[in-house]
Formats: sequence, structure tokens, C-alpha cells
Amino acid sequence: MMQRSFLAQNPSVLWFISILAVFTVIVTLLSEVTGVDMISTSFVKTLGKTLCLCLVAIAMDVVWGYCGILSLGHFAFFGIGGYAIGMWLMYARTEGIVLESLAGQPIPATPAEISDAIGNQIFGVVGSSDFPMIWAFADNLFLQLLMVVLVPGTLALVFGWLAFRSRVTGVYLSILTQAMTLALALYLFQNDSGLRGNNGLSGLQNIPGYEGVSQATLSIVFFIASAVALGAGYVFFAWIVSGKMGSVVKGIRDNEARVRFLGYHVESYKLFIFTTTAVVAGIAGALYYPQAGIINPGEIAPIASIYLAVWVAIGGRGRLYGAVIGAAFVSLLSSWFTGGGAPNINLGFYVIQWTDWWLVLLGFSFVVVTLFFPKGIGGLFDMLVRKQS
Amino acid sequence: MSMLLEVSGVSVSFDGFRAINNLSINFAPAELRAIIGPNGAGKTTFMDIVTGKTKPDEGSVIWGEQNASLLGMSESQIAMEGIGRKFQKPTVFEAQTVRQNLAMALKTPRNPFAVLMHKKTKPNAERIEAIALQIGLEDSLTRVAGELSHGQKQWLEIGMLLAQEPRLMLVDEPAAGMTPEEREKTTDILKEAAKTRAVVVVEHDMEFVRRLDCKVTVLHEGSVLAEGSLDHVTSNQTVIDVYLGRAHA
Repeated sequence: MMQRSFLAQNPSVLWFISILAVFTVIVTLLSEVTGVDMISTSFVKTLGKTLCLCLVAIAMDVVWGYCGILSLGHFAFFGIGGYAIGMWLMYARTEGIVLESLAGQPIPATPAEISDAIGNQIFGVVGSSDFPMIWAFADNLFLQLLMVVLVPGTLALVFGWLAFRSRVTGVYLSILTQAMTLALALYLFQNDSGLRGNNGLSGLQNIPGYEGVSQATLSIVFFIASAVALGAGYVFFAWIVSGKMGSVVKGIRDNEARVRFLGYHVESYKLFIFTTTAVVAGIAGALYYPQAGIINPGEIAPIASIYLAVWVAIGGRGRLYGAVIGAAFVSLLSSWFTGGGAPNINLGFYVIQWTDWWLVLLGFSFVVVTLFFPKGIGGLFDMLVRKQS
Repeated sequence: MSMLLEVSGVSVSFDGFRAINNLSINFAPAELRAIIGPNGAGKTTFMDIVTGKTKPDEGSVIWGEQNASLLGMSESQIAMEGIGRKFQKPTVFEAQTVRQNLAMALKTPRNPFAVLMHKKTKPNAERIEAIALQIGLEDSLTRVAGELSHGQKQWLEIGMLLAQEPRLMLVDEPAAGMTPEEREKTTDILKEAAKTRAVVVVEHDMEFVRRLDCKVTVLHEGSVLAEGSLDHVTSNQTVIDVYLGRAHA
């Protein structure tokens, strides 16, 4: 038979899923939930968030490492996903609190009064109490979950269509995506953006309807959900970049004109990859921010999307596990250095404080990796495999 | 006999420089044609116009029995119409295997959904093997294209053209950088291909053109200077002055 199964052709997928599954089980068993309590709830949240960052990193790897589009907008899609779920979380939780406080009154509050009270609670901080248009579906979990997928997807589709049909490529496209990200962040920073300006959305770690459930349990639920999403995302993207689709996508990266003269409509392929990865980035964001507890426009700032590219470059472009390694390794290391975990180095005349110097170290590693290890950490696996054979 | 491709009165300028000047040239459904001319004669621009990369300022490019105009079509549409192009520098996908390169070129549906759902089939595999045999790469199917020699890359690209099953093949300097043996094989491949389709070879090398033994069109300053057998055009005094004179000076 000609056709070998997808998994047989991609042994790394099975490896990845197995390792992820074992990791998930171990973390769950060692968490507070089982009573072992060797891994604190806050660290479970850090790990869960890291898994979400790995998911957006593989999306970035597909769009950049496989398709050659250096998008500096994928963390914006991630943030949009976070805002979309955050709106429901905040609305539903505030509604619960407002209803509770109004419960004892002799004359029941009218729906308009309830809505006003919720609006006051949410938007009082930016001096408003009216619900902006974009909150129209915030009371409906299902519709808001749809927004997690639809808003980043539509934005990517429209933006990508405009950019790709004009044949904007390379560094110009990167600048354009960065401009989009910056415009979005600046817009969200405004108080009248309808998303609470620089306050962002907060209290997202409290899940409406599950007030009685401890954060320890919620953190494990979100951790497992993030692991499942990462596993599913990995299989999905591995499927896309293997086979003939993978051939065409890699062909576009290496020589766009040649693919075009073979009769492929390059723009459609780029749009497909750009939009699909944006949707996955949105889903990753929707899982990340309930674990982070807060989202504000600073999260969407262009630097975040640049970090995303740095993770993928350090991990190894053009291989999905490389993106996972890069995102996990660099983001965990980053929280260790900036969280005061790394001991400061006293040189006598100067003290290297890692909270300040971490970025210098990261920038330096990026330069070193780009110059000397273009295949990143993932490239080491190639060397190991080659030695064996 | 009706023509496969009729280019008439085409002109195009870049920043005031007329790269193609009122060019008219026709190709029959099954013929081998060589286009020669000095640097800047407009050979590559001519290919760019036919394949949709460059839009001409005036003139018409009419294709096939339906007399369709190629001017409104995108590069990918033109490729699907049955016009394949080989670039001057061998352009294959170096990170992928010979088989993947050929599979990508194979004449199968090109829309993203069909490609995503694409399944390998036995007829397609046989077709790839047949083409590999034709271009002498039957033992290299699993090799990464980047490892191939220069000549093998040229053949692979010709093979990719054949896999597209085009009715018109535009081949830019296929023999550049090849050894005499490789040139001979290239000649055979092109002659064989021209039995069932139009093959247009742009070439600098007169000795290679002689080997092709076909009708020759001489381009000069963006228009046709002479047309006919190689002996006929090389005995034309204007051709000798503008091209051969310069080449053999």
C-alpha cells in the first residue's frame, strides 16, 4: 500500500504527545489537588501558561518557520483571544456579584437597573457605565467563545488578504504586521476603547459559576485543558505541514515565484496559513489569560510578538518541537531571571541584577543563535539522530 | 494550422527603456523553437510577459483554440492554462526531495483544500517514476534536491515542467553550466518533449542551438530580427552584425 499513516510518517508527533501526556499526569499528581502538594498552585499556573505560550509558538513556527511569513502580529491575535474570553468572565462574575447585592431589596431591580449596576462596576474605572457595542455578546459564554475564534480569524483574513494580494513580502510585511499590533495596542490603551483602557480586564482567574471551587483545582483544570489544546494543536499543525500542503507551504518559503509558476495561487495558501495560525493563537490566549488573571493592552505591545519570534528562532524554526522547546525554555528562564530566582552577580565595582540584565542576556543569546546555530536548539536533535544512523 | 500562442504587437517599457518593441511571434502546438539574441534583446522579458509576470503596455497575447487572452490572467492561472516555465538559474525546492519536487509539479488540483486532503495514489507515483526515468533521476527520488549537481537540478526543473503537462514549455538557458554529455542528454529530453507540445528554448550557446536542430528566432532590441533555420539566420548580414559579430569579436 502506498499510503502510510500520518503518524507513521511523523514519529516526532507520537513522541511529543507521549511526553506531554506523561508531563501532564506527573504535574497533576504532584499538585495540591491530590494532596501531595509538591508543585504549588502558582507554579501549576505558570506551567499551564507556558503550555499556552508553546501553542502560540507552534502557530508562529508554522507561519514563519514553514511559510516564511515573519508575522509580528501573532501575539496580538493571542491577546484578542484573551480579551474575548475575559469579557465573558468579567461580565458573568460582575453580574453574579450585582445580583447578590440586590437580592435583599424589597422592590426587585429592573433589568435596566441591573445592567446599569454591572456597567458601573466594570466601566466605573474609566468613568463610564454604558456597555459599548463590542460587549453585545458578553453575557453569552457560547457566543463569546465563538468570538475567541472569529475575531482573530477575521482580522487575520482581512489584513492578510490586503497584504498578500498586494504582494507585500519579507521585511515590509513584518513592519506592516507590527504596525497592526501597535495600532491595536494603542487603541486598547484608550479609556473609551470599550475595554477599560490600560486597566485591562481583571479577576479572570475567578470562573463564574464555580466560585466554590478552589484555585488549586481550577489551576489543574486549566493546566490539563492547556495541555490538551497544545497536543491537539501540535497534531493539527503537524498534519498541515506534512504531505503535499507542507511541500507547497515550504516551497512558498523557499521560492514563492517558482510555486506561482507551478500554478499554485500563492496568496490563498498564505492567507490560509496566516488565518489558521491566528485562530490557534486566539485559542491559546483564551486559555492563557484565565490562568494569568489579568489582561491589559501592555500584553499586546509589539515587543510580545517579537519575543514570540525570538522563542521560535532559539528553539529552531521549521520544526514544531523546536518552537515548543524555545517557548518553554525561554519563557520559564525569563520568569526565573526576572522573578528574582537567579542570584545577582557582584563584580565588586558593579552588581549584575538579572531583573535588568536578563533582556541583555536574551538579546545576546538571540544574536548568538542566529549567527552560529541557525537551526536553534531543535537542530541539536538532528545532530543526535545523524550520529545514531 | 492554427497557432498555440500568438504574441502580436507587444511593447513594454521600463523607466523609458523599451525592453520589448512591437514584438510579434507565434508558436505551433507541437514544435521546438530556439530564441537567441544578445543580452538585453528582451528574451527574458518576453517570457515574463507570456507567463504573466510582466504586463505589456500594448499588444495582445492570444492562447489556444479558444483564443483566450493571457493578459488578464495571474501567473498561477496561466500556469494552469498549460504554460510551464524553467528559470535561467535552476530553481528547484532544495530543502525537499526529488520526489516531493516532482509531486508538487504534478498536474493535480491546485486549490488549498484539495492539496490539504491530497492522498498519494499509485498512478501519481508511477507518473513521478516515469518522469524521473526520463530525466535520469530515477535513482535519486529520495535525495534532497539541494544535494544534486548543477546539471541534475536543471533536469529536475525540466522534469517538474514535464510533470505539469504543459502545452507550452518556456525553457531559459537549459544547458548553462553543463558538461558536453549533460548537454546531449538535455537535447534529447527537449526534443522528445517537443513531439507532443511546443517547447521554446532561450539560449546563448550557438553550438547547443545547432544540436537542437530547429527553427530559430533572433531577437534584437525587443523585436524579431530574423527567423528560420539556424543556417538561414546566421547567414543574415544584420544578424551577423548585431549578434554574431559581437559574440565572436
